[in-house]
Amino acid sequence: MRSSRVAVESSVGAPQGKTNPWRRFEESQGFMYLLLAPILVFFILLNVIPTMWMIGLSFYEYSLMSAAPPEFIGIENFVRIYNDADLWSAFGRTFLFVVLAVSIETVLGLALGFLFWGSGDMPGRRVALTLLFVPMVMTPVASGLFWRLILEPTFGVVNYFVTRFGGANIDFLTNVNWAFPAVLFVDIWMWTPFMILMTLAALGSVPKAELEAAEVDRLSWWKRLWYVIIPHGKFILMLGILLRTIDAYKTTDLPFLMTNGGPGNITELIGLKLYRYAFASLNIGFSSALAVLLLLIAIAFTSIYLYVLNLRSKREA
Amino acid sequence: MSAENFTSRSLSRRQLLKSAAAISAAAMAAQALAACAPAAPAGGGAATPAAAGASPLQGTVGDEMKGKTIELSFATIGGWPPSQAPMAMFPKFAEYAMEKYGYTVTARETQAPFASLFQKVAPTLASKSQEYNLIVSDSQWLGALSEPGWIVKADDVYALNPELDIKPYSSLVRNTYQIYPDGSDTRWGFPQMPDTQGLFMRLDMLEDPANQTAWKEQYGTDLPTTYDGFADWTIQDYEKLFEFFTRPDEGLYGTAAQYSKDYDFFSCAYHPYVYATGGDIWDAATGDVVGVLNTDANAEQLAYFVSLMKYMPPGAPSFGIAEMIDLFTQGKVFSAFNWNAVGLAMTPTVEGATVLVLHHPKFIFPDGSKDVIGAMGGQPWVINSFNDDDHMRAVIDFLKWWYTDEAQADFINNNGGLPWSEAGVNAEGFEDLKAYTRAFKYMLGEGKSRDFWHLPEYAELLAIQQEAYSAYASGQVTDPKRVLDYIAAKQQQILFDKGRTTTAVPAELADITLQ
Repeated sequence: MRSSRVAVESSVGAPQGKTNPWRRFEESQGFMYLLLAPILVFFILLNVIPTMWMIGLSFYEYSLMSAAPPEFIGIENFVRIYNDADLWSAFGRTFLFVVLAVSIETVLGLALGFLFWGSGDMPGRRVALTLLFVPMVMTPVASGLFWRLILEPTFGVVNYFVTRFGGANIDFLTNVNWAFPAVLFVDIWMWTPFMILMTLAALGSVPKAELEAAEVDRLSWWKRLWYVIIPHGKFILMLGILLRTIDAYKTTDLPFLMTNGGPGNITELIGLKLYRYAFASLNIGFSSALAVLLLLIAIAFTSIYLYVLNLRSKREA
Repeated sequence: MSAENFTSRSLSRRQLLKSAAAISAAAMAAQALAACAPAAPAGGGAATPAAAGASPLQGTVGDEMKGKTIELSFATIGGWPPSQAPMAMFPKFAEYAMEKYGYTVTARETQAPFASLFQKVAPTLASKSQEYNLIVSDSQWLGALSEPGWIVKADDVYALNPELDIKPYSSLVRNTYQIYPDGSDTRWGFPQMPDTQGLFMRLDMLEDPANQTAWKEQYGTDLPTTYDGFADWTIQDYEKLFEFFTRPDEGLYGTAAQYSKDYDFFSCAYHPYVYATGGDIWDAATGDVVGVLNTDANAEQLAYFVSLMKYMPPGAPSFGIAEMIDLFTQGKVFSAFNWNAVGLAMTPTVEGATVLVLHHPKFIFPDGSKDVIGAMGGQPWVINSFNDDDHMRAVIDFLKWWYTDEAQADFINNNGGLPWSEAGVNAEGFEDLKAYTRAFKYMLGEGKSRDFWHLPEYAELLAIQQEAYSAYASGQVTDPKRVLDYIAAKQQQILFDKGRTTTAVPAELADITLQ
């Protein structure tokens, strides 16, 4: 052991490129690519190739329901999407869902995050935090199913209490006025903990010294928030909002399990539409075209966020 | 030689471990290679001398399966007792196979609900896999499964096994579970479980003297308590009964029917109302939907069907098969429209409750006659084309066993099954076997029920109408004619694009939206 340490020390001290080929390799570009290779292989196999494949399929008429081979049809699938009023209506509903879900989750997440941040000595804080995160770690299938049962109009526990207190049964999942808010509520219930987590992470990233200095300077709470906390925490918060936006935009499982997109098409979000085209109708060409469009929109969302973040950091710089 | 001697004399511990690892690796590699090797196609594999020349579609005819061990893989409909009964009965087939053919057979079952079983099965068939050797299909899937060549033509099996070609009770069996394309003579499916619609009622409530008196006071007639007493009742007659038993203050409602957007729930419940106008949902001969579905008469029937929700508990737009069972068995409703296939489950848990099951209510047809044409339920078996020879033989053997009198009797008497053969349905005592068997038999009669499309596009067609019907049931759309126009236009477009009709969507409907 001792001799090997001496060997390492001597190799470190040796003139570069003279006697140590490993060191030379370590500093070459080849070593960098070698380290990157495993993740690049996975990335190419699991991301790049399927995406390229999907983009290719989007130009074909290809249905698994048919014995016919795929037929190249150019941009016809995209033209069909453009002309499909039902799809645009689903896009509109999805947009509304994303805006409402993400903004409410962010506000609630911030409020609760600050509450927990400032309650370090509160007894039972850890238990409360753990319980709060339970919805986030549950599988959407379980959440969707039990909320479906909880909100069920005849046997559901919510309606039990509603009628117990003199109200009339409410069809949460089949009433045109209630179904969308019900799905939205469950999404908020599931994902607000994520925003709490991001808020706590953001607050944790604020240097203690700066907070103490602000306290010494007797800055008001608002000023501390504005001049100390937000500048440090905003990147993590924005990342949280970005992740939630992309995730809310893909929401499929909850409406599928709770309402099957109904009543009518009130909770038929674009992810559910895509699922139906791809896995119910097995219309691979058309669903690929729709998936390409959704991917482009997701990329646009991400770009906007990144642009805003970069712009601010440039201004501040 | 003791283990100690063996290891110390012949092999060192390291050598032993190395050898074991090498043997294991070789075994795994051999298995992997075997798995990668292409499966012998049915009918083309090397047969043992005893079976030389025998097609696997004939099943086991000699000793070609003797001593083998086979695992048969079934795809069945989850939560649907008739579809799972074969699994419960499988040990008997295993005994039969061992006794008759000398091979060991086990079963593996994959379940999925109605709406997702096709999605589970289709990709495996598209990749020519024998993941599922025998599939409980829905009748609507016959076109989708047969057009790409994924399933074995039943006619080919019947040609080699005439004993399987059993005479059905009515043409409904053949037209629903076997034929594709509609109107042809080509059979693809093997009847597994036929099914028809019934109206399940609480007999104890009908017999209750207080109800009898109140009914007589209100309507001046006696309240029937027997099948024959209700046999000629129309839906309008029943509406009075539903109204009579709708007592929200007591937590009781008159009836429950299926309005759910899921799968084909709304469609199957509504279609009898369409047929009652003398109409249909499409023209199978021309492939047209526009002008057939979107008639004023059908719109009126749609409005009427949805208006019956006022006699139902809250949440009717989400009611499906499971809700019918829950509501009826827990005493929340006096009656429920449901499939006879789940008749065994429609047993109320309320003390003293008894059940009377009628066929679907009749309608007054345009010619003034009282009649009913219900929707057909039920499922066929279909055989995977990509089964290798051994699995194909085992599947045929299984079907030969399944259609034996003993297995069918076990299925019907002990596993909630229903018969489809002429002999089975006409068997002595069948009508009185269960509360629902008489109603089932009536609805399986010639012309009493009707199935709808078996086209490969069924999933797209179904999704459109289920969404639109659900929109109307929930009040999202208030004009029933608009709903039918929307469905007709969308479905016509799909059928036109696929070349199944030569008529394009009329200009006035081309841009119609649901709202």
